[in-house]
Amino acid sequence: MIEIRFHGRGGQGAVIAAELLAQAANLDGKTPQSFAFYGAERRGAPVVSYARIDDRPILLRTAITAPDIVVVLDPGLVEVAPVMDGLKPGGTLLVNSPLPPERFPTPKPAFVATLDATQIALSHGIGSRTMPIVNTTMLGALSRVSSVVSLSAVQHAIDEHVPARPAENGLAAIEGFHTVRVAELPGLPGGKAPAGPVAPALSSEVPEAPIASMASDVLHTSSWRTLQPVITREKCTRCNFCWKFCPDNAIDLDAEGFPVVRNEHCKGCGLCAVECPPVAIEMVVEGGA
Amino acid sequence: MAKLTLPPVELVRSGHSACPGCGPALAMRYLLKGTGERTVVSVPASCWTIIATGYPTTALRIPMIDTPIEATGASISGLRAALDALHMSDVQVVGFAGDGGTVDIGLQSLSGMLERRTDALYVMYDNEAYMNTGIQRSGSTPLGAWTTTTPVEGMARGKGEPKKDIMGIVLAHHPVYAATLNVAYPEDFLRKAQKAASLKGPRFFHVLAPCPPGWKFASDQTVQIGRLATDTGIFPLYEVENGKLRVTRKLGQLKPVRDYIKVQGRFGHLTDAEIDTVEHEVQASWAALLQREAHP
Amino acid sequence: MTRLVLSGNYAQSYAARLARVQVISAYPITPQTTIVEQLAKFVSSGELPAQFIKVESEHSALQVCVSAAALGARTYTATSSQGLLLMHELLHWASGMRTPIVMGVVSRSVGPPWSLDADHTDTMSQRDTGWVQIYPESNQEVLDSVLESFRLAEDLAIRLPVMVAEDAFYLSHTVEPVEVPSQAQVDAFLPPRVPKGTLVPGKATRLGSYVGPADYVRFRREQARAMERVPETLAAIEEDYGRRMGRTYGGLLQEYRTEGADAVLLTMGTASTTARAVVDELRAEGKRVGLARIRVFRPFPAKEVRALASRVDRLGVMDRSWTFGQMGSAATEVAAAIQSSPRQPRLSSFLAGVGGRDVGTALLREMFRDLLSKEPSGLRWMDMEPLKEAPLHG
Ligand SMILES: Cc1ncc(C[n+]2csc(CCOP(=O)(O)OP(=O)(O)O)c2C)c(N)n1
Ligand code: SF4
Ligand code: SF4
Ligand code: SF4
Ligand SMILES: [Mg+2]
Repeated sequence: MIEIRFHGRGGQGAVIAAELLAQAANLDGKTPQSFAFYGAERRGAPVVSYARIDDRPILLRTAITAPDIVVVLDPGLVEVAPVMDGLKPGGTLLVNSPLPPERFPTPKPAFVATLDATQIALSHGIGSRTMPIVNTTMLGALSRVSSVVSLSAVQHAIDEHVPARPAENGLAAIEGFHTVRVAELPGLPGGKAPAGPVAPALSSEVPEAPIASMASDVLHTSSWRTLQPVITREKCTRCNFCWKFCPDNAIDLDAEGFPVVRNEHCKGCGLCAVECPPVAIEMVVEGGA
Repeated sequence: MAKLTLPPVELVRSGHSACPGCGPALAMRYLLKGTGERTVVSVPASCWTIIATGYPTTALRIPMIDTPIEATGASISGLRAALDALHMSDVQVVGFAGDGGTVDIGLQSLSGMLERRTDALYVMYDNEAYMNTGIQRSGSTPLGAWTTTTPVEGMARGKGEPKKDIMGIVLAHHPVYAATLNVAYPEDFLRKAQKAASLKGPRFFHVLAPCPPGWKFASDQTVQIGRLATDTGIFPLYEVENGKLRVTRKLGQLKPVRDYIKVQGRFGHLTDAEIDTVEHEVQASWAALLQREAHP
Repeated sequence: MTRLVLSGNYAQSYAARLARVQVISAYPITPQTTIVEQLAKFVSSGELPAQFIKVESEHSALQVCVSAAALGARTYTATSSQGLLLMHELLHWASGMRTPIVMGVVSRSVGPPWSLDADHTDTMSQRDTGWVQIYPESNQEVLDSVLESFRLAEDLAIRLPVMVAEDAFYLSHTVEPVEVPSQAQVDAFLPPRVPKGTLVPGKATRLGSYVGPADYVRFRREQARAMERVPETLAAIEEDYGRRMGRTYGGLLQEYRTEGADAVLLTMGTASTTARAVVDELRAEGKRVGLARIRVFRPFPAKEVRALASRVDRLGVMDRSWTFGQMGSAATEVAAAIQSSPRQPRLSSFLAGVGGRDVGTALLREMFRDLLSKEPSGLRWMDMEPLKEAPLHG
């Protein structure tokens, strides 16, 4: 049995990726299972979905904690989500990234594969710059780097189950298949993953009633974004429109009335940039470039 | 440096779980700037259940009580009763409910609260569908809009029925104050929130709060689309105090509704003829509104 | 203490008034109506300075209480039958938020077909909503139980809502003498509520919240622990009540003449009084029988039932409601309780008094006769015969 975990962002199709993989594996004559636990995930927020593929009936209905394969649909997630957690030694990490595989060292020895799925998807007109839909491209690549599913089954599954632009999605899958690069990496010294984000600590004492009083500012929602605002001070007229319209209260005004983006909270919605009368704010891809 | 047109106090914290560009997140932010720190809010099952963030954190600097989706009206009656009994009558009571939780499953409870003259402000933030459950139609979804339960497929052309007239329903209960608000017009929003906070008795807000994923537009367009809703006459801004109606954003020439409809994916299937029909209806209702203002 | 002749419903109203409830909310349903009518009078006359919120449904009535209690107010509501069922979602909200609401329930059959009479289907269908359930057998006990319930519900170790369920008509509309304590006596027994885990204006707290599985189970475990503390806490409250008012009711399971008994019948509510009289008759005839009344059904007195089972060979349980595929509601729980008992008594389940069928001495004698002579045989529907010749109504 092969166990797979997908990491994506809310709205990016991680759940559909796992379901589509299940449909494709079924066409290959295998027994698939795919699942996700819906929670509070919003657009852009990190989400996970899962799949199991076997030649026999699957007798497990439990969470996957030690996946054979991890698929990361959004490059930014490697920094903000625990994508390496539990990846089996000798397993496969497949990341949507223009960077070479060596840039994603795994804690234990593993095969790491990368491809610029965002570029591929956009070139086929799938999704938008802020929310590229890369799941079909990634499934094409998956069919290359593992034996879990065949490319022809992925294509058939796309034909049958992708309502919008099936032809383009099929082509993107083929391009994903052909462009993915793989490297066998030795694992990190000590076998430890780089420290990920820290969730707020739960108090060991449970109040009897479900009363919450910790400030939500401890939650750093910048992990949701793919774009970030950059303010050109020289152009700014200090009109405070950006402050007024930020739905995340992520803009503070300094003593002189200039806006300062609180980076840990900005979700990169772009509203401030659109509402800025002198166009002093530009949205740039997260992390520069 | 321009003066602030909104009070600097922030009663909604950062780190909340709304989607990028969320209209309802702005609605809470502006509202609480108007009602102030001594506010208690009741929030039924809705997007705001999630936006407020999970245990042990909270995104509000004021007390919030979670409420079943259908019971906001009763909940705020209960809060008011307790505050009066415990000699804290100065505290503002606010119900902050979605459109589905108000015009559909919560309508009975809202009617009860208005009828028994509860001294509280009921705010319906209208993102025009059941968003928290993944974009299903509500009684407040407009005619023709795509939702997951009003698909555009075969003969189906999105929602087949017009939006419920919640202001009409509420005004028939004669609240002391009722108003329409729009997150794209924060100063008007604030003034109404402050006004409502200064009054006693049942008060009602119908707030237009655009939702990027639900309406299918990019997250940076929330305010642009919100403005168009009002400036095309689709969502006029007005207030009714003691039965007297006043339009608070006067419009000369209405912008074409096409400008509003064409920028939203949920209306992507509408034909020119269908848009023309909407245009006529909007013009008629705008004229009727001006009539009501002129001749109460 | 004054001796008044009161109905069970008025006993509820008087108790709520003596408890100085601050917020009342209710919706009318037969046979609960006179409880709230009397409270409306108390409030209107100024005898009870409470907020009485008249609502458009039972659902809203309980929501008003939940929200008011969440701010620290002492709250009371009352309902029956369909009204209790309509409250179902809110019953969970009340217990999940740990709001110490006290509710009077007039236990009534559930339609269709419409019927207004005594039955336990309404309360039994809500037995796992996290409420303490007390089933008094007299109007005196109704009044005493409501007062004890406020102490119990508001106890900081408990903080759970409580329902005091009285049989329709047999208590609700039966008048009998009730010793009504003075306000000073009640004030000494029941001080004002000390709010904890409540919302405070100006303080950033969210009550209810949204949790992941790990926190969910922790909150549920806390709720279960609070339920586990009820027997001990209630015993202490009863002792104090007894000292002040001179009456106690024997904890969760009240036994009567069970010493040396060959067979004991377990009952709830008003059937218990008549059954006690039957036990006396049978004892006089030389039959070694006894009675055990389940006074508190939630939490279920499993420990007490096991103790009884270790002394008695034959147990019978009379129920006014049942569990499909099993036995009577209480009988099923008795069976579960005694399966870990070192001695296994034979267990009989008697269904009687359903939909207001009268539970008379002859019927109760038959249950004892069965218990002493027959082998247990699952659920036995008693008193079906007259149905055959019953005249057709309308
Ligand atoms: C009794 C009940 N039925 C259904 C639900 C599921 N539910 C949760 S949120 C929601 C949508 C509410 O829609 P709306 O009030 O418009 O708020 P929005 O999600 O759009 O913010 C629904 C149907 C529920 N919580 N309770
Ligand atoms: S992009 Fe601008 S408006 Fe959007 S969250 Fe960031 S700072 Fe706020
Ligand atoms: S909106 Fe633009 S000009 Fe106005 S304060 Fe912000 S950055 Fe400056
Ligand atoms: S779905 Fe819409 S209303 Fe809900 S959080 Fe997202 S943007 Fe806001
Ligand atoms: Mg909605």
